[in-house]
Amino acid sequence: MILEAKDLNYYYQDGEQRRYILKDTSISFEKGKFYTILGQSGSGKTTLLSLLSALDSPHSGEILFNDEDIKKIGYEKYRRNNIGIIFQSYNLIPTFTAVENVLVPMTITENEIPSDKETVAYNLLDYIGIVKNKADRLVNKLSGGEQQRVAIARALATNVELILADEPTGNLDEEMEQEIIDIFKRLAHEHGKCVIVVTHSNEIAVQSDQAFRLKKGVLSSYE
Amino acid sequence: MNFMKRGILGITRKKGKSLILLAVIFILGNLISGAISIQQATGNVEKTIKERLGTAATVDLDHDTLNNMPEDEWMDFEPEELGVNLIKQIGDLPYVKYYDYSMEQWMGSESIEPYQGEEMDEDFMMDEEDEIPFQLKGINYAPIIDLEEGKATLTDGRVFTDEEIENGTAVAVISENLAAENNLEVGDTFTLVNNVYSYDYDTDEEDIVASRDVVLEVIGLFDPKSVTQESDEDSESNMMFMMEDPYYQNTMYVPNEIVIDETNYNWEETLKADDELAAMMKEEGEDASFEYYEPIYYLNNPEDIEPFREEVLPLLPELYTVISATDQYERISGPMESMSKLAKYVLIVAVAATILITGLVVLLFLRDRKRELGIYLSLGEKRSKVIGQILIEVMVVAVVGITLSLFSGNLLAGQVSDTIMNSDDSNQSEYYEGVYYPELESELTTEDVMDSYEVNLDASYVLGFYGIGLLTILISTVIPLIYIVRLNPKKILM
Ligand SMILES: Nc1ncnc2c1ncn2[C@@H]1O[C@H](COP(=O)(O)OP(=O)(O)O)[C@@H](O)[C@H]1O
Ligand SMILES: [Mg+2]
Repeated sequence: MILEAKDLNYYYQDGEQRRYILKDTSISFEKGKFYTILGQSGSGKTTLLSLLSALDSPHSGEILFNDEDIKKIGYEKYRRNNIGIIFQSYNLIPTFTAVENVLVPMTITENEIPSDKETVAYNLLDYIGIVKNKADRLVNKLSGGEQQRVAIARALATNVELILADEPTGNLDEEMEQEIIDIFKRLAHEHGKCVIVVTHSNEIAVQSDQAFRLKKGVLSSYE
Repeated sequence: MNFMKRGILGITRKKGKSLILLAVIFILGNLISGAISIQQATGNVEKTIKERLGTAATVDLDHDTLNNMPEDEWMDFEPEELGVNLIKQIGDLPYVKYYDYSMEQWMGSESIEPYQGEEMDEDFMMDEEDEIPFQLKGINYAPIIDLEEGKATLTDGRVFTDEEIENGTAVAVISENLAAENNLEVGDTFTLVNNVYSYDYDTDEEDIVASRDVVLEVIGLFDPKSVTQESDEDSESNMMFMMEDPYYQNTMYVPNEIVIDETNYNWEETLKADDELAAMMKEEGEDASFEYYEPIYYLNNPEDIEPFREEVLPLLPELYTVISATDQYERISGPMESMSKLAKYVLIVAVAATILITGLVVLLFLRDRKRELGIYLSLGEKRSKVIGQILIEVMVVAVVGITLSLFSGNLLAGQVSDTIMNSDDSNQSEYYEGVYYPELESELTTEDVMDSYEVNLDASYVLGFYGIGLLTILISTVIPLIYIVRLNPKKILM
């Protein structure tokens, strides 16, 4: 198991009441697999992903990365060394070029990165489908699909094994969506990464190696 | 793409915002640098002028307070005497280089003539009828402070020995000119007369009721001329010294014991001759001592005056105060003080405004960039490094802005202070109503103060301005930095 969540609880205080978004949720993930978590809008997908990516902490329960509590690793450290996050709204730095955006996490992580970082970044972008002349453009001069590819390249830049994506194709058309999904499949199957995507799309869920359904704070297997 | 490089990119990729920040810092920086320039300049004036005024100080009744007392209170007030013990106690303070407490006595002579000066106008001639032209100045500090302080130089012979001072040996150091006038040399003796006069208030006549001779041996000669050297260019103050010259030429330094003896003799004989006065003195219960000292202290440094004052004041009897040569600065400083004050207020206001305005501008710009900052945090960047990046961005722009305003503000300060000084020239009163302490006075005037004012671009100003400027900007980033610390990347990004 590369990632394991145990008995996660997360709620919002609604007056006297606690409104649970996640109730005793447990889930585990392996390397080399492409996972989807399917749920309707408002079902708590982003909440779950924010916990798995240590951008927020659960009210109770624990998350283990390679059997170590991420709290013990340290949230910041876990984020910079162990995971890559992909957001629905890309979240690239608009004043930087594509390649500069990919370079940013390389200087933040403590993971070993080949010394010629720029070449690595260009190669990564090329592999994801961003050619050299686009890589040198400011990212806000790129299309949505291209921007999300840059974001994927950025997530991969620190050479991590765990990729977490929150509705990564939510802002893209169907054709783009399929290309991004194909990249995720390749990352899982050819490069042995663990890719976890939360989505409200059935089409994506059916393409994953394993899908879960999130409903009323409860996770279940989805067939 | 580490945080430092990101900081530099943050400046170059957002030129518009960087320029706005630069303009803000430049404008406010001008105010700060101008104010610091003026402060430094006035501070330098104060320092140089106070250095020129010297380190002399004395303790005396506080005449300002006395003059402001209601009359009935004033009438009842009997000042305590400054005892020799207290004078010595003060003299032993570590700030004091050397000190003396002199009595003075005027005497006449039948055997020697006073020095009249060389080519003097009638105005400067001494009164022909002056029967007591010689001033005896009692000395307790054997090397003679006036010589140590360069008011005169010893041209022949020697100064006193400690034994002579203690025993009141009949020796004197007199001026070279007086000696020449009377063909006196070191080793010669001369005779003064201590005449006791009675004064008849009805007839306005003076009578000699008693008299005794004082025979003194010349042990040294002094030349007071060296004093004028300092103010060669200034013809006006040279005149002042020439006026004082004959008095100093006819001053004789003698051991203080001699002056005490002669004063006591004079008083005793006066009381013998004047029953009324004697009765009055008895009634008042005055003791028979007529010793009255004006101590003079020379401190090690002009800066020692304030701590000296602080330590001495509690030791003094009621209504006594410390008067120092540098007190004169207040009287001659003219518009310097008001300019210094104005500059101080401008500085405070400018620093406060800079902290507020720069802080808000930076905060505003950061709010625009909160997504970027959130991204760094989501990528696991330490908050301290995000803060470091923003500090670099602001400080690089600040250094440029401050460097630009370093020169322009200094220039501005020169212009502004010229205007202020020229407009303030008119109402300068040279007249001082107060007690005059000759030992503490110097020939410096408001003009000297103004002349020594100069807005400089010297190292201390440059360092001072960079220090204050950069510190101000640093403080102004505190609010924006709190904002960064509180950023929640989940809320921003998801
Ligand atoms: N700050 C908040 N206060 C109260 N409720 C919130 C807050 N943020 C989100 N929620 C609620 O939590 C639930 C889960 O939100 P989220 O995890 O974003 O769902 P999803 O990503 O599946 O759309 C939603 O019903 C939302 O209304
Ligand atoms: Mg969501």
